[in-house]
Amino acid sequence: MATGGAVAGQRAHSRERRFGRRGYSWLTLAPALALVALFTLFPVGYAAWTSVHRHVLVLQDRPYVGLRNYQNAIEDPLFVDSIKSSLIFVAVAVPLVTLVGLLVALLLNQRVRGFAILLVLVLLPWAIPTVSAGITWRLLLHGDFGALDGFLYRIGAIDEYIQWLSSPGLAMASVIGVHTWREFPLPAILFLAALQTIPPDLSEAARLDRANAWERFRYVTLPHLKAALLIVLVYETIIALSVFDLVYVLTGGGPGSATTLFSWFTYTATFKYLNFGQGAALSFIMAAVLVVFIVVYMRIVRVREEPS
Amino acid sequence: MRRRRRAANALYASAGILLGLVILVPFLFVLSASLQTESELIRRPPPIVSPDPTVDNYEYVFTGNVPAAYASRELLRGTVTQDVRQIPKGLRNSFIVALGTVLINLVLATLAAYTFARERFRGRQAAFFFILGSRLLPAVAVAVPIYVSLRSLGLLDSKLGLVLIYSAFTLPFSIWVLTLYFRSLPGEIEEAARIDGCTRLETLRHVVLPLAAPGLAAIGAFSFLFSYSEFMFALFTTETPHAKTIPVIIASVSVNPDASYTLIAVGIVLSMIAPIVFALAFRRYITSGLVASLTRG
Repeated sequence: MATGGAVAGQRAHSRERRFGRRGYSWLTLAPALALVALFTLFPVGYAAWTSVHRHVLVLQDRPYVGLRNYQNAIEDPLFVDSIKSSLIFVAVAVPLVTLVGLLVALLLNQRVRGFAILLVLVLLPWAIPTVSAGITWRLLLHGDFGALDGFLYRIGAIDEYIQWLSSPGLAMASVIGVHTWREFPLPAILFLAALQTIPPDLSEAARLDRANAWERFRYVTLPHLKAALLIVLVYETIIALSVFDLVYVLTGGGPGSATTLFSWFTYTATFKYLNFGQGAALSFIMAAVLVVFIVVYMRIVRVREEPS
Repeated sequence: MRRRRRAANALYASAGILLGLVILVPFLFVLSASLQTESELIRRPPPIVSPDPTVDNYEYVFTGNVPAAYASRELLRGTVTQDVRQIPKGLRNSFIVALGTVLINLVLATLAAYTFARERFRGRQAAFFFILGSRLLPAVAVAVPIYVSLRSLGLLDSKLGLVLIYSAFTLPFSIWVLTLYFRSLPGEIEEAARIDGCTRLETLRHVVLPLAAPGLAAIGAFSFLFSYSEFMFALFTTETPHAKTIPVIIASVSVNPDASYTLIAVGIVLSMIAPIVFALAFRRYITSGLVASLTRG
């Protein structure tokens, strides 16, 4: 029996040796790597090429124009505006999403009867398509027929319907609000997982030592959350810088340019004016900014290769 | 002390109820709106629950029979738009594209992840880093170049083009999650199989895969959710109902001033069914996959 197996093993291994270990490895990686490279390396390279040429769809020739696309982009007042809007959005939305996620995680960590349902529900806003969430909230926040205004009116809180999506200040707040509703499940799940690694004896010991709730939070809970906190902050920043779907269905960049975030600006510059050279330049700028965050993220998580 | 504990529990319970409401109310609202007629919805304030719910709106979307309430009122008839008739096609396209992406993920990611997990070879670190880094490249930054690339490949306005893009975007995450998962399996069974004469691929197929079901479930669910819900690339690259996915269709319906809110609501409800079913069914795998991938790089 054993000899039979060993012989078969030798035969199989010699079959493999013809292929070579390295051959097998690269062969199995090739399809995945090729597909990913095709849509990351190739487009980025192509974008670099396109961004230094004048590439407008309706014009025939595509001359090399050096950095003119970048220059035009930076000199466009809307460009600066959209960067400002994106920065404001990130500065408010990221802490908000993180905070809400943390609070929800803290709540769900309490052993209260019936919270199992909440654990199921909490995934829902994140699971549905972003546009579906956006359109739903657009209906809710509608200035003329919205249910939110209807509810507030019914309980006497307001006399007139509030224009959530068409007044400049409120529009940004509304987009941030809907974004938070949509995104908070992710930090919530991460924080909850982190909270559940806290050994119960630790919090019990703190409680026995007469530590109040705040002290317990600060010395027992918070240290376990630091890693997750950093990860959430960087990850949600990357997400916040890429917001597009919500802008499309909630405000279309408006009113005026109040909610024209950078990704929206890139979209209109490229597809409304069909100036691909410009669009490529903008994409490149954005990719450069995001790469910084990505590198920060990877360094934080400290990707470590373990030997097999 | 006991009174404080009871008070705290009451506080938590009410906070929990509040959270549940904040999550559920938008869903319930849109569901209720889809079952109403326009005339009720535009009343100020709109009724909380429709006095007589109707599935006529759904019937219109699928069969084209104009709901009775609209047929009678000349004014409101204009809000029943042909656009919404594209919804069933959008659902089908989204499903096909999502399934295609899942399939590619299951096959290619498994092959690649098993190699990353068990093989040692030169260039492995670099390849791994490349995969990981590209996972975080956000869509917007490569949207324009990908559009131009697809155009030169003749793959615009095609489900295949979408499947390829989505696969490229979901593979890094899938490979990462599966690599972690394969590494967590004890190697003895695989060694035994190799000694008994199995090739690496045979070992993978007969020994490892049955053990890796949770990991596969996680990446299947993620790839499905991502490709079903993806909006931006679908918007950029599709033009005809032949390839438009459901997010594109409901988005264009929603910005159509001629569309009645009830029909928009029908679109939204229909678009949410598949993701909700998947998310609920695969909840545990999604959660563990998310935690593992984001906290371990």
